[in-house]
Amino acid sequence: MAKTNTLLEIKDNDNVCKEEVFSNIFKANSKTIFNYIYYKFGNEEKAHDAVQEAFVRLWENCAKVKPEKAKSFVYTVANNLYLNVIKAEKVRLKYADKNLKTTNESPEFIMEENEFRDKLNSALENLPENQRVTFLLNRVDGKKYKEIAAIEGVSVKAIEKRMHLALKNLREKIDGI
Amino acid sequence: MQENHLAKWLNNELTDAELLAFKESEAYASYERIIRATDSLEQIDFDVEEALSAFKNRQTLASKKVIQLHPFKKFMRVAAVIAVLLTGSYFYINNLDVSLKTAFAESKELLLPDNSEVLLNADSELSYSKKDWDDHRNVRLNGEAFFKVAKGERFTVTTATGTVAVLGTQFNVENRNNFFEVTCYEGLVSVTYNEKETKLPAGSSFVVIDNKLIASEESISNTPSWINSESSFKSVPLKYVLDEFERQHDIIVETKNVDLDQLFTGTFSNRNSNLALQSISTPSRIKFKFEGKKVLFYAENTQ
Repeated sequence: MAKTNTLLEIKDNDNVCKEEVFSNIFKANSKTIFNYIYYKFGNEEKAHDAVQEAFVRLWENCAKVKPEKAKSFVYTVANNLYLNVIKAEKVRLKYADKNLKTTNESPEFIMEENEFRDKLNSALENLPENQRVTFLLNRVDGKKYKEIAAIEGVSVKAIEKRMHLALKNLREKIDGI
Repeated sequence: MQENHLAKWLNNELTDAELLAFKESEAYASYERIIRATDSLEQIDFDVEEALSAFKNRQTLASKKVIQLHPFKKFMRVAAVIAVLLTGSYFYINNLDVSLKTAFAESKELLLPDNSEVLLNADSELSYSKKDWDDHRNVRLNGEAFFKVAKGERFTVTTATGTVAVLGTQFNVENRNNFFEVTCYEGLVSVTYNEKETKLPAGSSFVVIDNKLIASEESISNTPSWINSESSFKSVPLKYVLDEFERQHDIIVETKNVDLDQLFTGTFSNRNSNLALQSISTPSRIKFKFEGKKVLFYAENTQ
């Protein structure tokens, strides 16, 4: 008896078409998809659209996609969505800044910091797309190299390489070497 | 230093010796500052719940769209049918003939579009097309009517037996079972019977009884007698006289041993049934008696 019950439960949870299962997948992955596309194109609107589109496709295919595959399914859709979009616009990134609230610094220091941040921002915007995405997912979102590798569909070593080059490029651009 | 040492450094994977060497390099301060600055960056706002409800709204809207399409289609179908019916009935009613009908013991007066007058005797029907009136002054008659035609184009009265055509005159047309009579009171009337045209001058009649043409006879009065609530006959078989009596008084007539083909000349009242019965019975030498709403004529020598 107990055995059949467990089997039924597994089978029950095994369905992405179930609203609860679907909502959980949405909650777990939508933010990363948003940031991933945002770091790639520096365009908030595109990032919002990518999230909606990825999950519409998942919903349409909910009977075919198993829950454990759902995550990579939505990343693949989001990734492919702008595959053929010509990158005409310049990447413009903005961040919520947690340092803005601390005011017990000297004005000179704040000015110097802001100057540095502007340089960093411009350096980030001018990084190659894959280096910028990897670097920001790691530094801002705290994603492990392994997780980024899964999202991008490449090896961990390739991510390490991108990370290394990203940091190297940033320093060269900021220090003007 | 191992491959991708910057990535390894960020992941705390450098050996102690490597880390020491890296910290002593002149680039270290720059790297350290970059990392410090980027670590203070925060993700821009993304509200998961909001995105999820936006997604759900979008899905319900998408599914609603499919449902909404059907009632609209249905409405269009109904609207199309109504439109077809309305246009159809508009044309039908527009082309429908104007018709006037009288019952037993009833007569009606009608003014045609060109101000011609028609007096319709009892149990008669007259119809004409309002639409075609301007092109052809044409009326269809079944029964008896008196016409005062206004001057103008050819005016035609079509009956099952024959066609009467005039330009402007006063005439009477009677067309009953096997009885066709046209009397002209003013002007000139042309009667077409069996594809033969006969010109009828004022004061003469054209009579066909049982498909036999009776010679035209002079008429004395200048209006048909029924206009004055009397029915006049001149050498008409008795059965037609009795038919007329039925029509004028709405009384069913039955006969017993009466020769219906004997000719009758005379007049009876259309108002007073008793007087009319006497007017018919006395010259024909027959008797009559009421049986409820019926009247029975019978020969004097029978009983």
